[in-house]
Amino acid sequence: MEKEVLESTTAYQENSKMKKILSALLLVLSLSACLKLDNNLFNNDNTITEYKLDNYDGETDFVLDSSYNIPSQKITFLTLASKLDSESEPIKIKAIYIGDVSRIGTDTVIVYCHGNKWHMDFYWQRAKLLAHVNGKNKYGVLMMDYRGYGLSEGAVLEDGMYADVDACLAWLKEKGLSDARLMIYGFSLGSAPATEMCANHHAMHPSKLLLEAPFASSEVMVQDGSQLNMPASYFTNVKIDNAEKMKRVSQPLFWLHGLNDLFLNYKTHGEVVYSKHAGAYKQKMLIAGTDHGEVPEKADFRTYLDTLGKFIRR
Amino acid sequence: MIKRFEDTLQLMTYTVLLVLFQQCAPSRYVKPLAKKEQSAGFSFGGPIIGFAGASIPIPFTTLSYGRGLSDRLTVYGGCHLTSLAFGNVQFDLGSTYGIWHNEKQGLSGGINLQTAMAAGKSNTARLWPTAEVNYYYQPGKSASYFYGGINSWFELARRKAHEQEQQRHLIPNLQLGYTIVKEKNQHQFELKYLGIGIPNLPGIVDYRGLGGKGSFGIYYCISRKF
Repeated sequence: MEKEVLESTTAYQENSKMKKILSALLLVLSLSACLKLDNNLFNNDNTITEYKLDNYDGETDFVLDSSYNIPSQKITFLTLASKLDSESEPIKIKAIYIGDVSRIGTDTVIVYCHGNKWHMDFYWQRAKLLAHVNGKNKYGVLMMDYRGYGLSEGAVLEDGMYADVDACLAWLKEKGLSDARLMIYGFSLGSAPATEMCANHHAMHPSKLLLEAPFASSEVMVQDGSQLNMPASYFTNVKIDNAEKMKRVSQPLFWLHGLNDLFLNYKTHGEVVYSKHAGAYKQKMLIAGTDHGEVPEKADFRTYLDTLGKFIRR
Repeated sequence: MIKRFEDTLQLMTYTVLLVLFQQCAPSRYVKPLAKKEQSAGFSFGGPIIGFAGASIPIPFTTLSYGRGLSDRLTVYGGCHLTSLAFGNVQFDLGSTYGIWHNEKQGLSGGINLQTAMAAGKSNTARLWPTAEVNYYYQPGKSASYFYGGINSWFELARRKAHEQEQQRHLIPNLQLGYTIVKEKNQHQFELKYLGIGIPNLPGIVDYRGLGGKGSFGIYYCISRKF
């Protein structure tokens, strides 16, 4: 009898422990939230109080010599309204136009969609460089900070980024620019809005697309990191699916990529984007021994500009 | 190693988690449980990466439960808590089989199925088999033991994103560990070398590997038998 009671007590204790473990599991399940890493994907800095351009002494990919300086009368700071359908009020975003605003109606303009880092000061040297394609200030260049970057208001959103670039295109259209003279250049993260503007209907339809070190998609980023066929949605709602959108891009494409890009693999990202292009003409410029952000410098600025110039003129 | 890319620590965090997802626990039940013996454990650990100028392991957490079906065969399951926090249901189910043993040492092998899916999202269910072999050695009079072994994940998919060919189907890892065995509790310490021979570049994570390949990882697990 005593033995039976003892066995019964032991069984009760074990059941009690099991219940505690199951309760702990249920607690964890109930406390689990759908965290996503979306905010960690964007590397914006909105703590600055002004744009310093040539006076910016922070880190940059390269610094151009004074022969590339832009006369101050050719630099225009813009505040544009950008609004998503889901927003009741527009967001104010900041942009810089390099060139003569009054001549946009007759000029060729390159819209430069910058990468993920910080704000426009970091990319100012690149925008200046583009203002020298086919000659100094031959073409206008428009660069913007997406919402949440630099002095642009709001929080970073993938769709917001597309709306912001669309707002820039709307401004150019208002100034009289035609689709035929609109080029769009996307670097790294900027490849997403640049591709989106070409693939889908927006305020304007760029006539040529230039992509430097483009993303293929969030999916590729996840699979490169994990080595497994893992969905991006495990970690983020950001899609940035340039590879899929490229199937709808018929404009001529120019792809530039460093063969030693340690951030966005030229094969898993760039080559996939390039291979999906639906248009009749495409060309590429792959630079040996070149990492992310080094293409203009390692290609040599003159070669870079000449090659871009030929592509834009053709 | 400092990598040159446009993003910094935030993006590193992003991808670190991707990789940790698949390497978030130490070896389970290296030494099979006795028949009808049960054990519950909590573990954390992950690959070592360079972060803010230091080498740190990222703690990933799992809960596990095992039961000895016989003196040789232990079955177990695990719940991956960090994955859960991201809205992904990730479980693993597996077994350890005692291949051979004597008083001081033994050899065990195991197979495991890792399953994951993003809650509420279609076409996100995935399954990865893994396999493992461990040798353990008990140096003293106590039941504590050293162990070492090899394990691998298997990717069965032939295609990955954008219809690209999935070229890597085997992700092998090495592990070395020591388990302190008390009457009821066990403390397991494990060092892994993850992704043997797999280049850790290009990528955006500053892995601490060997010659640009793989990554070291450290893990701890506390478990209680009952």
